[in-house]
Amino acid sequence: MKFKAIAITCASILAMPCAVQARDFTIAAWGGNYQDAQRAAYFTPFATDKGLKTVETTYLGGLAELKTMSDTGNVIWDLVMMGATDAQLACDEGLLEEIDWETLPNAADIIPEAKFECAVGNVVIGNGMGYNTKAFAQAPNSWADFFDLKKFPGKRGMTNNPTMNLERALIADGVPMDQVYKVLATPEGVDRAFAKLDTIKKELQFWDAGSQPVEWLLAGNVALSTGYNGRFITAKKDGKPLEYVWNEHIYNIDVWAVPKDSPFKTEAMEFFKYADDPASQAKFSSLMPYGPTNAKANELIPQADLNNLPAGPNNAHALAYSDAFWIENYDALKERWANWVIQ
Amino acid sequence: MSHAKSQPHGSRFAAFLLLLIPTAIFLLIFVVPLGSIISLSLENTALGSRFVTFNAAAENNPDQRAQAVLQDLGAMDQKQLGEVARMLNQEKSGFRSLILDTGKKAKTIPPSMGGLVAFDKRWAEPDYWEIISKNAGAISWRHYQKVSGLKLDAAGNLTIAKGDLIFMRVMGRTLVISVEVTLLTLLISYPVAFAVARGSRRTAATILTIVMVSFWTSVLVRTTAWVVLLQTNGLINNLLVWLGIVREPIQLIFNRFGALVAMTHVLLPFAILPMINVMRTIPKAQSDASRSLGAGPIETFLRVYFPQTLRGVAVGGGTVFILALGFYITPALTGGPNDQMLAYFIADFVNKTLNWGMAAALSVLLLLIVILLICLGKLIQRMLAKRERAI
Repeated sequence: MKFKAIAITCASILAMPCAVQARDFTIAAWGGNYQDAQRAAYFTPFATDKGLKTVETTYLGGLAELKTMSDTGNVIWDLVMMGATDAQLACDEGLLEEIDWETLPNAADIIPEAKFECAVGNVVIGNGMGYNTKAFAQAPNSWADFFDLKKFPGKRGMTNNPTMNLERALIADGVPMDQVYKVLATPEGVDRAFAKLDTIKKELQFWDAGSQPVEWLLAGNVALSTGYNGRFITAKKDGKPLEYVWNEHIYNIDVWAVPKDSPFKTEAMEFFKYADDPASQAKFSSLMPYGPTNAKANELIPQADLNNLPAGPNNAHALAYSDAFWIENYDALKERWANWVIQ
Repeated sequence: MSHAKSQPHGSRFAAFLLLLIPTAIFLLIFVVPLGSIISLSLENTALGSRFVTFNAAAENNPDQRAQAVLQDLGAMDQKQLGEVARMLNQEKSGFRSLILDTGKKAKTIPPSMGGLVAFDKRWAEPDYWEIISKNAGAISWRHYQKVSGLKLDAAGNLTIAKGDLIFMRVMGRTLVISVEVTLLTLLISYPVAFAVARGSRRTAATILTIVMVSFWTSVLVRTTAWVVLLQTNGLINNLLVWLGIVREPIQLIFNRFGALVAMTHVLLPFAILPMINVMRTIPKAQSDASRSLGAGPIETFLRVYFPQTLRGVAVGGGTVFILALGFYITPALTGGPNDQMLAYFIADFVNKTLNWGMAAALSVLLLLIVILLICLGKLIQRMLAKRERAI
């Protein structure tokens, strides 16, 4: 009897890896409120309709996980939300399944900037400046203000990365927004951006997690900070004294992608029907203040909500982030950035 | 007779077998990862094995080289092409699109220098060709060149590229921070350990409990606690303002001060515990004897007690120093841009730029520094021991 019990235990332990193999549909996204809104707008309707059990996990950017999955052949994610640049890099290395835009429902309504070879653009994100409304009598309203230590003294929060920050430096230095990437493509333009950054270097504090700018501004650790519009607006809705500057903000796109050789490839491709649906996107935007990629969704969003989104008038005086520029120039500029930070 | 004779051999064989298991575990856990890190920092198969035809082509024959590059690019699948493009782009901006575009059309481009340049005029620049031939070997030192800031120029001489000493600077900073943390830790932990070793039972138990609770708490929790305490509107600043010591909140975090305070706190138990162990072995009677022979309390401490505790100080300090060298999350959360240590850059290369070769090379640098320091420590120890014997 005892022997039998031991045998059963051993057998079940041996069977465990197999049980793990037949895993549930796994979605990796950015976590926090962002993922909560996605769950309500997309994951739950999708899982209910398909009769699937979904598991969620967090992705923190980069290609490390996708590369490991591809190298080991153990694909543990079926759907991942990534930045468009990373998605293109992963696509070039064959880490993602290609998207067949011909067969995708709602494809005609999706804005062209959101269509990628291996990814479906789903969310428009504003990357601008946030400030504490109690900190200054006069509100900052441009990147020139961000770089003005006399008018707005105090520490500046930004990411430890050249992306977007070089653009901001150029805009602050007077480069018109439609010329930014043209100027940045020249060595003189890069020098100009770094020279501008030199003026606030001693006050820089680098944030890593999207929640840090909000915490730091509220705690008074920094005077101004770059950050995602969603974080500032959500905090503002919670009654925090924070404001986001729409003028000259930079918007980029977050995309859904399917890791190569996912065992749930068919189901993952069907997910896009839910993610691209205008009503679902409008619902997402009402929960999380990021913009839709389905042009028809704007009409379904109430005006009060639309004012908080990187969409419509808020993007009238904004810079569209160039994934193409950064894919080509990231390595060299990141090296220069790292050198600049250390010196 | 022979049975009795073989017995010691038998037991020796059994002992050998028994030792084999821990040795195998040791090799698996320590040596294999180290070896793989070292090979990762040098290995270049991702590039080297892709340019086979190119490596065989004559260097002074442009058409043959062009044909070879096209043949090699055409033979790569999408994944290999993407990998090659990513790695070459780390050497020169624009290489990525050049490789991807050319690779996708490799079969249709006329296999000559003229054909390549007509397809994309960037192929006329010698830079690109130089980078391919430099990086097409099976082993590449380029990661170590970047780490050390040393470069081989065209004539084969080692030169220091100005402004490229970034990782040497970071290494120096890592060492400085580790030394600062070690000194602070020793300064604080010595009296604490002394109180535990010499204090009453109750004092010792209370202090030990506090130290152990802190020791068992997650590093992340302790670090975040310091963020809450030290930030501009944090507890400490509010207290200072309330007491009237400062008028405006002062910057206690996101600078070296914040990083040192948090790191010292995290590492304190590693110094306190070995010191207590050593201090407890020193009989109190020795100090009493010294006092009865006429030495004052200070002289007794300096000449009788302190020299005997040095072993604990060395073990504690050494542990703290080695641990501090590899710190990542604590300085990342409490330090400023100029307080980030080498591990921060390793993590950046692993997670963000996917440059595992660079990450491995930096890890090897850290390892070499640790080995060097341990050797130095041993040397000093030996010299001191020799001097003692001479006296």
